[in-house]
Amino acid sequence: MSALTVDTFKQIIQERLQAELVTVEDMSGGCGQAFAVIIVSPLFQGKNKLMRHRLVNNALKEEIAGIHAFTQKGFTPDEWAAQGGKV
Amino acid sequence: MPVIEIKSQEQFTELTQDDSSKLIALYFYTEWAPPCKTMTSVFQTIAESKKDDPSILFLSINADDLSEISEIFEVNAVPYFILIRNATILKELSGADPKEFVSALNQFSNTPEQQAQAPAPAPAPAIQKKEVEEVEESEDELNQRLKKLTTAAPIMLFMKGSPSSPQCGFSRQLVAILREHQIRFGFFDILKDDSVRQGLKKFSDWPTFPQLYINGEFQGGLDIIKESIEEDEKFFEHALEAGA
Repeated sequence: MSALTVDTFKQIIQERLQAELVTVEDMSGGCGQAFAVIIVSPLFQGKNKLMRHRLVNNALKEEIAGIHAFTQKGFTPDEWAAQGGKV
Repeated sequence: MPVIEIKSQEQFTELTQDDSSKLIALYFYTEWAPPCKTMTSVFQTIAESKKDDPSILFLSINADDLSEISEIFEVNAVPYFILIRNATILKELSGADPKEFVSALNQFSNTPEQQAQAPAPAPAPAIQKKEVEEVEESEDELNQRLKKLTTAAPIMLFMKGSPSSPQCGFSRQLVAILREHQIRFGFFDILKDDSVRQGLKKFSDWPTFPQLYINGEFQGGLDIIKESIEEDEKFFEHALEAGA
């Protein structure tokens, strides 16, 4: 598998998790090995942290398996709005 | 020599400085950690079997009561073993693995077991009793073992490496968080046991490490714990109470 880039990864997340907003940060200095992502998606509604993470982990199984480090935060659109659209 | 239960730091200093040529085996335990119960009796049995060997000193230390000593050695998980000679740490072992402890003890003791019967032709290398271990474990057995491991302490951390030398940044961060909140925890080094490493991913339905269990309930990885702490400074306490 070729190295993941911020843009392709972002697109994948957007599609698979019906995300309204995705930020992807490459923490490995561009080598595509470590990503920190924030995902805002209605799919998270009514799910606790563990369930949200599992949802993301399952949706991105292959991608996560191919990289070294993956950090995620998931919000529903409402939660995201409530905290002013930033972490 | 029988096991000497350390009662004070002064006693500890005195005993450990008494004779520097001795091999000193330190065993750190706590009353509350179930794996310690097993290891306490293992430690006593081993000490008993070596009672005719004056060159080994067996000291057992309650890591809670004598936290100064635990801190000197940076013991942050129990059971924990340290072998010392000439004020030098020869070996540190954490976790409840009697075989590992015995083999380390044999490796560093002056008198390997065979020598008791007959003079050995050459210094015998430490005997590693590995034969028994290779038995294939069924999925059921593995799951039972995982169940036991995840409940081995109220808070169990499955990590890469040990708290004193984490082998991955995420594991390191989670250890730091636990310490910062002065949380007692047991841990398991998944790098030491690949069947646990692979099995636990399925068991927890979680692809990465570290993984944290509280009262046998999977809590999540580093991200979740971080978020939970941000939301509730007393997250660990509350999670512990919830399952109690």
